[in-house]
Amino acid sequence: MSALAFADIVERLRAVFPAATLPAIETKTSDNGQPWLLVPANDIVRVATVLRDDPVLGFAALCDLTGWDLLKYPANPPSTDIAIVYYLHSLIHRHHLTLKVLAPRDTGTVPSVSSVWPVANYFEREVFDLLGVHFAGHPNLKRIMMPDDWIGSPLRKDYIYPASYNGIAHLRDGQKFEDAPTRGDAAAPAQAAKP
Amino acid sequence: MSPDLAIETLGGERMRLNMGPHHPATHGVLRLVVDTDGEVVANCAPDHGYLHRAIEKIGECVEWPMFVPYTDRVDYVCAMNANLAYCVAVEKLLNSDPATKVIVPMRAECIRVIVAELNRISSHLVAVGAMAMDLGGYTPFLHAIAQREGVNDIFEKLCGQRLTYNYITIGGVGFDLHANAAAETEAFLAQFEKEMIRFNQLITTNTIFQNRCAGVAVISAADAVAYGLVGPNLRGSGVDWDIRRDEPYGIYGQLGVRVPVGQAYAGRAGRVGDCYDRFVVRLLEINESVRLVRAAVQLLPPPAEKANDPLGGFQADVAKQLRKPPKGEIRARTEAPRGEMGYVIVSDGTKVPYRVRVRTGSFTVCSIFNTVMKGIFLADVVTVIGSFDIVVPEIDR
Amino acid sequence: MNLGPAVDALAIWLSGSDPAWWAIGLAAVAVWVLPLMAVVLPIAALGQIIERKVAAAMQRRVGPNSVGLDGVVRLVVRLSLPFISRAGQDRLIGRISSLPGMSLARTLGLGQLAADGVKMLGKEDIIPAGADGWVFRLAPYLALTGAFLPFAAIPFAQNVVALEVPVGALYAIAVSGISVMALLMAGWGSGNKFSMLGGMRAVAQVVSYEIPVGLAIAGVVLWCGTMDLHGIVAHQYNGSWASFLGWNIFQSPFLLLLACVLFFAGLAECQRTPFDMAEAESELVSGFNTEYSGMRWGMFAMAEYSEMILVGAILSTLFLGGYQSPIFENVIVALPVWLETLIHVGILLAKFTTVLVIMVWIRWTLPRFRVDQVMRLCWLTLVPLCLFALFGLALTMLIPSLVMPADAQATILGVAYGRLPAMPHLALGLVGHALVWIVPLALGFLLVIAARRKHGRQHPALTQLTGGA
Repeated sequence: MSALAFADIVERLRAVFPAATLPAIETKTSDNGQPWLLVPANDIVRVATVLRDDPVLGFAALCDLTGWDLLKYPANPPSTDIAIVYYLHSLIHRHHLTLKVLAPRDTGTVPSVSSVWPVANYFEREVFDLLGVHFAGHPNLKRIMMPDDWIGSPLRKDYIYPASYNGIAHLRDGQKFEDAPTRGDAAAPAQAAKP
Repeated sequence: MSPDLAIETLGGERMRLNMGPHHPATHGVLRLVVDTDGEVVANCAPDHGYLHRAIEKIGECVEWPMFVPYTDRVDYVCAMNANLAYCVAVEKLLNSDPATKVIVPMRAECIRVIVAELNRISSHLVAVGAMAMDLGGYTPFLHAIAQREGVNDIFEKLCGQRLTYNYITIGGVGFDLHANAAAETEAFLAQFEKEMIRFNQLITTNTIFQNRCAGVAVISAADAVAYGLVGPNLRGSGVDWDIRRDEPYGIYGQLGVRVPVGQAYAGRAGRVGDCYDRFVVRLLEINESVRLVRAAVQLLPPPAEKANDPLGGFQADVAKQLRKPPKGEIRARTEAPRGEMGYVIVSDGTKVPYRVRVRTGSFTVCSIFNTVMKGIFLADVVTVIGSFDIVVPEIDR
Repeated sequence: MNLGPAVDALAIWLSGSDPAWWAIGLAAVAVWVLPLMAVVLPIAALGQIIERKVAAAMQRRVGPNSVGLDGVVRLVVRLSLPFISRAGQDRLIGRISSLPGMSLARTLGLGQLAADGVKMLGKEDIIPAGADGWVFRLAPYLALTGAFLPFAAIPFAQNVVALEVPVGALYAIAVSGISVMALLMAGWGSGNKFSMLGGMRAVAQVVSYEIPVGLAIAGVVLWCGTMDLHGIVAHQYNGSWASFLGWNIFQSPFLLLLACVLFFAGLAECQRTPFDMAEAESELVSGFNTEYSGMRWGMFAMAEYSEMILVGAILSTLFLGGYQSPIFENVIVALPVWLETLIHVGILLAKFTTVLVIMVWIRWTLPRFRVDQVMRLCWLTLVPLCLFALFGLALTMLIPSLVMPADAQATILGVAYGRLPAMPHLALGLVGHALVWIVPLALGFLLVIAARRKHGRQHPALTQLTGGA
């Protein structure tokens, strides 16, 4: 019943796993000093299950699951991955933890944690919809906000605004988005990654 | 936009009913694809996206302070709380680097609590009133809305707006309180308390209403946590968690927030975590908010000459910090009327956010719809939606 | 066919000495239906006005619906002159008039009603593509028919009744059953799932609630020994100045119980909140009339108000002395016939207006039941209650015949069917009254206490919310 600091949580996590099956977790710190834990994509379900079920950790709540495109982020070294971020919270112990999974840009597939936290069902659908990351094992991985036949993932940093959707022009004559293709190509622009 | 349809083919006696996107009980453009067996719901799949306005995408295109008006549109029923959530997050980001530290003046903090709690009152009034209306009690709804007008009048004097306020700014609030705002607020609260007693006598303790809500859509505490329920929905299931008390932001730590939780208020027929508990928790929170407003008015320092005075000012200087905020990421969460409103903000050190993400209570609560609605009556679907206090712009953003 | 001399004369005038079938039909409509409509339609409008005014006052609405309320308030307050001083009256009027919506219009906002009527007539008549055409079109007429026909048997005064049927009580419930058909047709014919659900709910509910209604009416028939509504009203005559003592609800606690059951079942019959399963606007959009617009919808609305008034009329006729005055009925019957008729019609109107106001008041106060709760209330509460009351009523009627010789009954009771022992046998009468009134009332009181205890104590948080300690 006591809140653990980030280092204690990581230590406990390392202790719970047998040495042979210990996932390659790494502690990291963001540019403004926020600690987070990098988890390999393939181990996320295992780690999540332990984090939820271990009585000392007790992360029963997934507060948020989101992500962002690292393409234009001034990191050193630069990355083209999509970062998937899990914000966990324990209502019993009152401590929290940030996990990150890096999904490769083009073939990004991350195992779904919706079997661990049911709420991830919705969060993952949103990330899939807006960032184009696939979640393996998700019960209903479909777009949640954009129309089903939408092309592209709007929150990716290389997303190009389509000039039209199903023949309906988005731009008025003379109007122009910064990176919009020139008017006239009725066909939706080719996207690097389609969800 | 794709509903989660577990039953793709309708066999036997099933009928598929589209509740929404335009339906009186879905509180906006939410669509529920309900498969019914007679009057009994066999499967209920929510379908979202009819109100998607790409607010998170807009966040990546506008400068830090310019995003505040958009937060109003994230949840227009409690726009003050939505403003506050974003501003608290940006301030937390700025404070993560000593070079860009920002100190919100004490007076501004008090004003923030006053307006946020008043807006919580008005939001909860919409919630309880609309739930009463969903159950056929039209008069209590209008009484609640009439009281909400009182809150809107106060806000209109404060910032000129009645719905989307754009009042709380990064580092303070937009305008100082007008001269007799405290007296006006107290006058409103005094009549409001009397009015709420009448409201509760009219609907809350009504036997028909209790029987409609008691024992319907019972959500255990474990389920509530696992499905990401927050705010009154979580507390209705008996989980004692309120960010204002447990992770205080602003001056909430000094106010001693008391948190009501579900206790099977409906008596013998009631269960902890049923619709009635969620309803009553909101009503108790209204009373607590009234107390918090009064407490914040007591704490209010006298106004100072300079707007950026750390005690009596209302707006810290943040223009310089916002041109070059620290690089990095932050997550801050506040307690909005519909529960945790958490902002994830990523900054690349420029005057435009790199990523703005808002996690809202109404979005996650939709993930439990299918689970709780199996086997209940069609009439109870509206009870459950009402008890969850769905605000659709918050879901679709 | 014998449809009365007026119909015959009109039919002969229309198509000669051997009238054709259409002439007879037209004449019958002109003589019987049109006057009835002329009476009932304004009554339906009255229902609409009452609904709007009561709702506006309860909800403190600003707008045309609450216009003119202060006129009513002023009248009521001024009439109470003996009890309140003039200054007190002025203060009261001032306070009430300062409420929102109490503007100073003098016309009671009747213009709004007329404008609504014109608007309804002018609206586009939309028939959905998926609708079952003739079923959809016929339903509103049928609803109106079912709501208006029973009025034919209601006696408005001693000699004002459209249709003298010896089985008036049976006729009234029989023809009002037509409206079930209308609800079903509207629900099915609209080709809308919400409408269909509403229609199905309506049928289940109305058919179920006809049983308590029928049983309640059977109780009155048992007591009065006649199915003739005139006879039932006449049976409730009391020759003293306190004429209300003759009313059926004051005759026996069982009749009082049946009156309550009839009221609630009537509320359910005409689909009013808390029983508005068929409409349930927050669940089924608007239920059976979702797809109706313009005057077709207006006909459903009129049918609803007529049915409410019908419930009031039947309740008044069966239990509240019909067109008789609560006091000094013996004076009124001695008046000239035209004056007596006028007063009687006015009194009946006042009675069912009162019932209507109570129904509207309930509608804007209570939330709605769930569909299973409605059914449970009918079959597990009202029907057993009715059976119990009927059984008790029959027993009380049997007692005098058991304890007295037949000739004594005739002289003491004065009527063929057993009223309670009256004044001549004071002691017996008192014992009888004690038995039949005090004991059941005490039992009922105990039952209420037991039910409250069973329901459990209120949670302290709720007591606090409702202003308790």
